[in-house]
Amino acid sequence: MGDLKLQNITIDYDHTPVVHDFSLTVENGQMASLLGPSGAGKTTVLKAVAGLLQPRSGEIFIDGRLANGLPPEKRNAVMVFQKNLLFPFMNVEQNIGFGLRMQGRSNAEVHRRIEKILELTELTGLNRRKVHELSGGQQQRVSLARALVLQPAILLLDEPLSSLDATLRQQMRELIQDIQAQTRITTLFVTHDQAEALMMSQRVCLLLNGRIRQVGNPQELFYRPADPEVARFFGGCNFFEGQLKNGVYYSPFATVAAPELADNGQRLNATIRPEDILISVKGTQGLPGRVQKASFEGGTTRIWVQCQNRVFVVLAPRTDLCAGQNVRLHLPKDKIRIFPPGN
Amino acid sequence: MTTDTANARGNARTRPNPGLLVIGRLVVPALAVVTLLFGGGLVLGLVQSLGYLPATGMQMFTLRHFAGVLSDPDFFYSLGLTFYIAATSTATAALISVAMALVLTSLARRQRVVHFIFQIPLTVPHLVIAVALVFMMAPTGLLSRAALKLGMINSSASFPLLINDSWAIGTLTAYVWKEVPFITLMILSVLRRTGMELLEVGKTLKASRRQRFFHITLPTIFPSLAAACLIVFAYTFGAFEVPFLLGQTYPMTLPVWAYKSYSDVDLMARPEGIAIGLIIAAVIIAAVVAAQLLTKAARHRGLVL
Amino acid sequence: MVAAGVIVVVLLPFVPLVMWSLSDRWFYPELWPRQWGLRAWQYVFSTAGTQILGGLWQSVGVAATVSCISVGIGMPAGRALGLFDFRGKDLVAVVLILPVIVPPLCVAMGLHLWFIIIGLAGSFLGVVLVHLTFCLPYAVFVMWGIFSNYDPAYEEQARSLGAPAWKVLVRVTLPLTFPGIIVAGLFAFLLSWSQYLSTLIIGGGKVATLPILLFALMGSGDRPVAAAVSIVFVAPAMLALLFSARYLGGRSITGVR
Ligand SMILES: Nc1ncnc2c1ncn2[C@@H]1O[C@H](COP(=O)(O)OP(=O)(O)O)[C@@H](O)[C@H]1O
Ligand SMILES: [Mg+2]
Repeated sequence: MGDLKLQNITIDYDHTPVVHDFSLTVENGQMASLLGPSGAGKTTVLKAVAGLLQPRSGEIFIDGRLANGLPPEKRNAVMVFQKNLLFPFMNVEQNIGFGLRMQGRSNAEVHRRIEKILELTELTGLNRRKVHELSGGQQQRVSLARALVLQPAILLLDEPLSSLDATLRQQMRELIQDIQAQTRITTLFVTHDQAEALMMSQRVCLLLNGRIRQVGNPQELFYRPADPEVARFFGGCNFFEGQLKNGVYYSPFATVAAPELADNGQRLNATIRPEDILISVKGTQGLPGRVQKASFEGGTTRIWVQCQNRVFVVLAPRTDLCAGQNVRLHLPKDKIRIFPPGN
Repeated sequence: MTTDTANARGNARTRPNPGLLVIGRLVVPALAVVTLLFGGGLVLGLVQSLGYLPATGMQMFTLRHFAGVLSDPDFFYSLGLTFYIAATSTATAALISVAMALVLTSLARRQRVVHFIFQIPLTVPHLVIAVALVFMMAPTGLLSRAALKLGMINSSASFPLLINDSWAIGTLTAYVWKEVPFITLMILSVLRRTGMELLEVGKTLKASRRQRFFHITLPTIFPSLAAACLIVFAYTFGAFEVPFLLGQTYPMTLPVWAYKSYSDVDLMARPEGIAIGLIIAAVIIAAVVAAQLLTKAARHRGLVL
Repeated sequence: MVAAGVIVVVLLPFVPLVMWSLSDRWFYPELWPRQWGLRAWQYVFSTAGTQILGGLWQSVGVAATVSCISVGIGMPAGRALGLFDFRGKDLVAVVLILPVIVPPLCVAMGLHLWFIIIGLAGSFLGVVLVHLTFCLPYAVFVMWGIFSNYDPAYEEQARSLGAPAWKVLVRVTLPLTFPGIIVAGLFAFLLSWSQYLSTLIIGGGKVATLPILLFALMGSGDRPVAAAVSIVFVAPAMLALLFSARYLGGRSITGVR
């Protein structure tokens, strides 16, 4: 048990920084998600925490103690890798017991703890299986069990589910959440899948191009993105510009009271999520527009609507619209996100 | 379970067998050449060593050539010497190679030149390194001259015998110099492919440097290390050039003795030469089979891949 | 530190070779030749030029022929072994591994009598055939390795795009396996190139490759000339290494010995 604190970490590969000024705190017993597209630097951050890489600058505190100089084997943090990396020359039991044996624990203790962890990860009875005789999901669970059995202060999971198919992935998510809730091991969960990050934890940290862009709870990231890039990462596609006058934001598409943004005359960007726009075919209220294209996606239909000089994308659960049709759009004031100055 | 498992087992299992006809067409030419020339060579050798020798009109089955070799008092000296050379050079080269592989993986990628230089011995024929070592280590060689210059010895006679000596120092040096890069590169390719990642796992699972070496590195490299060692052992056990140039004149290694007998002016010695050759082959095959069985046992106990 | 050690240990044996080949007179216990000169090299290239350059060509001819045949026959076999599982595969593997571990000495002695009878002893072809016994299996093993990581779906894709079988071979299979072919060829070439005893037994001195000449020179005791011929003997193999290092993008030639 313990908390994880990263302060202003910068990490280089061959003298070029790939992670810049990264700071993050994960409270004791909590799980946080580190979200970012492939190549953002997620694995790099985890390796630095695990001690496999040395940051160029910044401090890493594990359980309140500075961990910077410590070699990986002296850190109370265990990493589970993206590829499961099970030792091919060992069976399930030997793989899981590896860390305990390295610590020189007694046979009895090793066996007791292996059995417990096998049960927790739903692997009971597979003790003697060869690694290559396991399915992908089982291999991933062995890899997880191998880390959990050490009862580390910090558990680092690097995209542990990315090699599994959709249904298996959902089961594994629930398993990981259950295990985390039971063991209360402080966990940093890495993923490139935004939906996964939002559902896994109450705290999400978005990393783009090696920089933290936003940290917060899932709703904050989703509905109050810090800047247009964050909004785009979560599927935002409707952006427009407006101007502040006396605490009111004026744009051609909406007028919103914004008392907290007092600065007069400033031009600011704003966004609205596609599923938040209301669309109707009747009436005279709202912005007039014309449907360019509609594409059925199952639960909803994605509709492109030309409105003045902009094209808005609308997600709505209706199937009666076709290209060329005249419609009315309504942008609810409370769903409009005005980006702070500088974006 | 199904696809994952199949993929893990490698390429061959995932593909349907296209039928013996297709496979036969692909394999038979190579198999025919090897069976005819290699198998034929061994069989003809066996026939000759068992008494069939048309040139002398002898056409009678006899074991006396084998008996002659085996009852020669020098035979066990020669066998021992040959085994000593093969085992010592293989073991030494293997130890150095494991160390070298570890060092080379930790060297930065920029050290291309080192990697290139390291590969040079692979291309140097055994004959050339033997010649070079004669020039280097003989009593009148470069080392002896340097030692004299430095005042470490006072005449060529007091320079230790490094060539044609009873410890086969020259022969061993040549083999180790030649085989270390071969074994190292075999190990390195495995280490690079999976070893480095597994070592990182080992680090986060709290294995110390020593534990990582014994529990991860060794089991990972073992299959290729063993294969490389077997090839080196087989080669050094049956090679002629190096012990001929750098070895003692008496006792001879088995291959040198075999060739000496075979090329003797006395044609009666020829079948004995062939018999020695076959004994060499038998020893090597026995060693390979034994190694195979040992590996299988180790694998059964889950010690190696 | 280690880097320096490697460089010294690898290159040290070449020092006396180069020095001796460039010395005209050099007596014990002098550390440097009393008189530097090109006598040995003149001997190699003019006095005994026809013989030694002849040996060079003989060696190149044998090794190149062996290498081409090995790759040509070894590639289909490697393909079958790498791509498919079939009954008797283990047996095939054993048959192929034997010539790799059993020294050529045994085979050459056995074949000799037969080759005398059918007139192959002392001939270029006879030497090529005896070298094939161990070069071909090596080539098969290299190609086996290559084809176990090869996906024949590329060929099916090309076929379905309308390429005839021979074009698939030339435009798809060969380019995809090219590095492997180079390694296998290089392998067979080097093995044949450094072969002494089997050449001597089957060639009977009539097929005078470089190692045969070098051995004779070592017997004669002319150190400068032996040193020069040794250098001539290693040079092509080193060029091959340089070539492969360039061609294979700096990858090492693992498995060559
Ligand atoms: N060993 C390495 N050497 C140099 N650059 C690397 C290395 N590993 C990763 N990188 C680079 O660092 C960046 C971040 O990589 P990584 O942390 O693996 O991303 P992620 O895990 O988010 O996909 C990428 O641009 C990648 O190209
Ligand atoms: Mg990653």
